[in-house]
Amino acid sequence: MKTSNVLLRVLGVTAALLGVLFFFIIVGVFGLPLAIAGLAVFVLGAVVVFRAFPTEGARL
Amino acid sequence: MKLDPSILARVQFAFTVSFHIIFPTMSIGLASFLAVIEALWLKTKNPTYLQIYRFWLNIFAMGFGIGVVTGIVLSFEFGLGFARFSQMAGPAIGPLIALEVLTAFFLEAGFLGIMLFGLHRVGPRLHFFATCMVAGGTLLSASWILSANSWMQTPAGVAIHDGQLTVVNWLHVLMNPSWPYRLSHMLTAAYLTASFMVAGVGAWYLLRGKHQDFARRTVALGTAFATVLIAGQVFIGDIVYGTMLKYQPSKMQAAEGFWEKQSQSPAPYYWFIIPDQKEQRNRFTLGTPYLGSIWLTHSLKGRVEGLKNTPRELQPRMAMVFYAFRIMYCLAMLMFAMGIASLWLRFRGKLFNSRWFLWMLVFMTPSGIIATLAGWYVGETGRQPWVIFGVLKTVDAVSPVPSQALLSTLIAFVCVYAVFITAFLIFTFRIIRRGPVDAPVYAEASGSIKNAFRPHVLDNPKRLADSQFL
Repeated sequence: MKTSNVLLRVLGVTAALLGVLFFFIIVGVFGLPLAIAGLAVFVLGAVVVFRAFPTEGARL
Repeated sequence: MKLDPSILARVQFAFTVSFHIIFPTMSIGLASFLAVIEALWLKTKNPTYLQIYRFWLNIFAMGFGIGVVTGIVLSFEFGLGFARFSQMAGPAIGPLIALEVLTAFFLEAGFLGIMLFGLHRVGPRLHFFATCMVAGGTLLSASWILSANSWMQTPAGVAIHDGQLTVVNWLHVLMNPSWPYRLSHMLTAAYLTASFMVAGVGAWYLLRGKHQDFARRTVALGTAFATVLIAGQVFIGDIVYGTMLKYQPSKMQAAEGFWEKQSQSPAPYYWFIIPDQKEQRNRFTLGTPYLGSIWLTHSLKGRVEGLKNTPRELQPRMAMVFYAFRIMYCLAMLMFAMGIASLWLRFRGKLFNSRWFLWMLVFMTPSGIIATLAGWYVGETGRQPWVIFGVLKTVDAVSPVPSQALLSTLIAFVCVYAVFITAFLIFTFRIIRRGPVDAPVYAEASGSIKNAFRPHVLDNPKRLADSQFL
């Protein structure tokens, strides 16, 4: 397996784990202040991804 | 066979309100989506945005029409099935429903005509204003009705003298303790519903290799909105949970599937149970160890309160509340996972060619509607046996009418609503099958609705080229 593929898989698993962590934070497992902070970070992160990786020009 | 009028009245209202809520959920979400799309069109002058607008406007208009008609029925049903409720709660509920109807008819319906037929007559900017007014109207409408329903969940601002309710503080009635959270939860649910519908239809076109530009933009926009909205919804949902735990503990006790006053420590999170209400125990449970303590008490070994904390005669039916809550919550987790997946696929530049993801989006098209319905079942079945929590029991709220009257009207509603849903689905699938390219990108209104619907006005391809807006 190519190194880049391994790296992508590792990144994919990391993204999934981060997603689970964000879910737990946002549902308030670690308290309301962290839930608000987690929500803000998630939304800002999502907006950064939307702006950094525009999809309109993608090839099918 | 002797039928219980109180059961029939509840079945009838449950059926009609379940049917009704599908359409406002769609129209609240789609109205705001259309406002965003029209703003993008005005800003960029990209004709694809106008195409998206015209395409979804057709579906929005049908949903709006059915939503209004089926909403009127509910007001009459207060009298037909729940006259004692109307008699007692009228002073608080009546004005809120009147305001909802005024908002719906004057603001939404007034500007809907311009939105549907006025693009050429009033110009794009004023047309955009009309779209915003319709979107704002749906939002205001939802605010009034959620205020009325939340007051039934957490009544406030009233006094009761000789069985008659009087309002002592309108602000407390309007802004009752659960209203702000339940309103935010419902509005976000509506926007999520529209996002998944839009993304699902776009994904279907991508899988079929049709309408590529339209499909890419709708998938990109739908998944972007859904990703942000589901994070917000999960957050608001947790606040709603905490609020209801404070004001209606019996509802949340039923939703978690525990019977004993204190669960074992650590508490599992149940995914599947077979509850026995009579024996006050579960016949079978399937859950994840520790997760109940972590999610519900925010500690590793916390105990969860069970339904035995509520006197037996005041308990809701656990099975309905538990499974409705699980359906809503599992769909929310699935939506969250889809949001994360969409971010990952954007990062890799594969948002439009991951077939598994596109298929998932197609299957998730009605997910918002199902989750919203499940959420309402949690809210309404969890409030039982009360119709106004802690004030009036459902069984005491029913009209003194013979069961035959309720049964015959129930059958009539089922028949008429079957026609409604069949027509809606046929026309919606027809619009989707026809696709945006063949749909009228620009329809000129002539001042006559009859003329505006004529095929040469709706489908004249020359207008595509002639249109001053393209």
